[in-house]
Amino acid sequence: MSKLLGKAKWLFTEVKTHWNTPAEGKYVPYKEYKDVVLSVGSNYAGSKVLEYIGFASWCYLIMYHYKLPYLTFSVIGILNMPLNYLSALMWWLVCDNLGFLQKKTEKKFYFVYALMMLFGISTIVFDFSKMFDQTGTFIRILNSFEGMNATACFKTFGTHFLYTGWVGARNIFWRKKLLPKFGRYKYSLYCDVVPKCVMVILIGWLPVYNIPDVATRVWVGNLLFATYNVFGFANNLETCTKTISPNMQERILVRSYPVKLSHFFNTLSSLAISIAIGFLKDEWADINLFRFVIPGTFIFFAALTMIFAGRVKERIPQPPVEKKVQIKFWDGMFGVLRNKYLLIKKLVELIDALGNGMLPFATVLYLYTFRLSGLPYSLLVMLVSFAGTPPDLLSPYFLKRFSYKQIMIFYQLTRAAGNAAIAAAMWFCGDNVNLCGTICVIVLFLMEMTKTVPTTAGHDMDARIGDYQMYLSGERLENFSSVMGWFTDPIKNFVGLIIPLMLLGYGFNSNWEILFYDASRANIIIIPLLFDVVGFVLMVIPYLFWDYDSEKQNKVIEVLKRRAEVTEKQAQEEGEKVSGGYVG
Amino acid sequence: MSENKKTDVQLEEVRLEIPEEDIWTYKIDGLAAPKIGVTPKHYNLKKVIFVLVIVVAVALSCFFSVLALMKDTFEYEQVDGGYKFTRFSNTGYIKELEIDYVLDVKYELGNSDPNKNFTIVKDESKPIVEVGSYVLNCDEKVEKITIGAGVKKIDPKAFYSCWALQEVRVDENNPYYCDVDGVLYNKDKTVLIFRPCDHDTYLAKKYKLDEWDSDGASKWRKEIEPDDPRYAQYEKDVMTFVVPSSVKTIGEMAFNYANMKNVYLPEGLEKIETLAFFKIPPLKNVYTYKGENVTDSHFTGEDVLGEVYLSLPEGLKYIGSDAFSYNREMEYLYIPESVEYIGHHAFWDTVFKEDGELKGVSQICVASASEEEFESKVQLGENWKPKYDWLLFKKNVDVLYGQQRQAK
Repeated sequence: MSKLLGKAKWLFTEVKTHWNTPAEGKYVPYKEYKDVVLSVGSNYAGSKVLEYIGFASWCYLIMYHYKLPYLTFSVIGILNMPLNYLSALMWWLVCDNLGFLQKKTEKKFYFVYALMMLFGISTIVFDFSKMFDQTGTFIRILNSFEGMNATACFKTFGTHFLYTGWVGARNIFWRKKLLPKFGRYKYSLYCDVVPKCVMVILIGWLPVYNIPDVATRVWVGNLLFATYNVFGFANNLETCTKTISPNMQERILVRSYPVKLSHFFNTLSSLAISIAIGFLKDEWADINLFRFVIPGTFIFFAALTMIFAGRVKERIPQPPVEKKVQIKFWDGMFGVLRNKYLLIKKLVELIDALGNGMLPFATVLYLYTFRLSGLPYSLLVMLVSFAGTPPDLLSPYFLKRFSYKQIMIFYQLTRAAGNAAIAAAMWFCGDNVNLCGTICVIVLFLMEMTKTVPTTAGHDMDARIGDYQMYLSGERLENFSSVMGWFTDPIKNFVGLIIPLMLLGYGFNSNWEILFYDASRANIIIIPLLFDVVGFVLMVIPYLFWDYDSEKQNKVIEVLKRRAEVTEKQAQEEGEKVSGGYVG
Repeated sequence: MSENKKTDVQLEEVRLEIPEEDIWTYKIDGLAAPKIGVTPKHYNLKKVIFVLVIVVAVALSCFFSVLALMKDTFEYEQVDGGYKFTRFSNTGYIKELEIDYVLDVKYELGNSDPNKNFTIVKDESKPIVEVGSYVLNCDEKVEKITIGAGVKKIDPKAFYSCWALQEVRVDENNPYYCDVDGVLYNKDKTVLIFRPCDHDTYLAKKYKLDEWDSDGASKWRKEIEPDDPRYAQYEKDVMTFVVPSSVKTIGEMAFNYANMKNVYLPEGLEKIETLAFFKIPPLKNVYTYKGENVTDSHFTGEDVLGEVYLSLPEGLKYIGSDAFSYNREMEYLYIPESVEYIGHHAFWDTVFKEDGELKGVSQICVASASEEEFESKVQLGENWKPKYDWLLFKKNVDVLYGQQRQAK
């Protein structure tokens, strides 16, 4: 007991002493821990609220109001794919140079983006499909796509041009203007938050879902959601905490305690939303969910986020923005291809695509097997998500006790076992709703328990991959790292069609109600789960090659610190104005 | 230090002596050397290989993805004795389908009117003998389906969520199936298989009670509202359905998403299959009639139906899962003595609270004398009773045992 009291006393003194200034060897004062709780909590809760909105079959707005064919979303993905490849090149170059391009290049980029927007607007205003032979193969192919016709295809294609041009131009403008002041992870919150709030309101209030013709509903809905997506509100502040300290142990500490504690905001918000849904006349299918509940909750957390966002700092040892390494296109491309650890992660992601297109099992279980809503729903969701909290608080212990390789292999194998157990429960006792449901909830609980430590390890692995990239190339190349996706995405896109096409064969469509039919529900869940089991087992293989240990990481950080120190010194000697640098 | 022996967050004091001129080239043991501002070997060749690999990958992906998504309008499988119709993907303009022979779409070159520039041609050497499940799924265009004489088997879920489908017709020479005024039955009319979702539009047109609205691109039928003087006629001709007296079974999903207010069931009915009356928002009254030789689904008056009473028929044995779920207009529910099975969620969400008052099926009347007797005799699925919001939770409606059927 006295030992415990002594420890508490020590902790109190430690926090009091280093409330404003960090201890030696550390970088984050305890006051910032408090700020992390408030800011990340609000940002995380706000971004989670936005998970209710999306132009995809999982969104209740689409499911109950737009009622679009399930495969239409895959068609839109395929239509957008070629332009994504082209626009990604420009995007990476802008982002990995932190928005600071040569004047000439910048002008060229603005010009291209303006052209894209003009083309996009013209396809929306005019019907370009009429320029083609209406009985020709091309138009027939477009007409054969689920939920689309040639007109809708052209307008959807043009919408993506408009979206890409708009987002691209904003990216250069705001990055350059705001990044030196707010850092690479937070700046976008400042320029996006107000238009995002407006769009969240419009999504619920514009009655696009009442358009009677399905193809028109598809392209107008796509345009509305594309505009909504122009403005981001991601979990930026939590991302910022990944680089809150160059000290690895401190980084883990921040991510294990204040960050996890901050997620409690989201728990409360989920609980409140679920209860509010329970009070709506048509529950999940009530449009007032999107008119009042979601916008109200989002705007509240968005406002809190903006109040606290300035108090969390990123501390990547890096040269000042003016002295940073200029990344040329091919250097970026080849730079990321040299990062072995990034290759491992991307290979894992590729294999993970085997489960793409499957329905969120927990949602099916809660809404279609148990038919939950209101408080019982939120309590069950909370119970399952709480399962991860106790082990999460012990993350530092687990991360000390086991290597990242061991943790990630354990993670994949437990996912495989869990999914196999759920599939077995549904297969053998699917007709007994309570028994099958209870087994599934227990398995979900166990899976959640064993998920949080690997998630923390995974985040730290990502941060380390960035540090290693910075050592290799002089910049983190977080955007150029998407080039791996150029190789994997084509395969992922195709593989990701397997499950949706199969679900369609079992009667699934975007109103999801075939899930009330027991036989279909079993097929729709079990078979994709088995795909996932195979995927998780295969995902073990790449991790066998992970050998990036603490010694290597510490050396990398030493090199980065030294580079920052030397370049800042040189800049000061040359009398240059410097900003955005950090020597650690 | 190997990965196995050392974990990843154990801090090591590391001090590296890096001269100022080596900061961009300093190599750490066990890791690749940094290459910053250095042109790699075979730079141009690598660029070419890179571009080629990407182009091939993207092209292949687009090709296969489009191939996977691009559906033939009609898909078939060869089976014993002919073909099985497995999938229909509407071109967006097909409103009528004949299911008798393998079909294909031929386009008229030069005709730019998408509504008229095609014809559906039949290959009469390839008869269709079977229609698979979910052949039409979520179609919004097809209004009429005609089943040929040679079709031997139709999956009950063949035409799922066809929002515009008004009538299904069967060739009178078909030995397995028939239709009564656009509703699908087996030949001896003991099983009602499927009533199209938009059958009410067909009836409204038939009885000249259809009114249309349009936004230029598409048009839709307007409902006749209760305050309209024609409403009584509309309710009788369009919103009321009489299940013929020969019917013993109402099939899976037979009426789901229908638009009807009243349904008359025959007293000889034994089975209501799963999801048979799922989500019919206007469905208010379920009646049973005792009359025999009722063959017409059109309601002309109760006098031709014999004695009529409220709710489910005496003699009914089986109520499938979700059989009546999400029908909030229903009010009176009586479970007769004859019932032996009630599936899970059979009456789910048929009750709700409005202004603090319970509406819908706020209680269930059961013929059995007691709960024990009822539970020993009837196999009950989970949550067969509807639930309503109670504080922050849900509560079952009351079940009243030993009840007499309420008089009409």
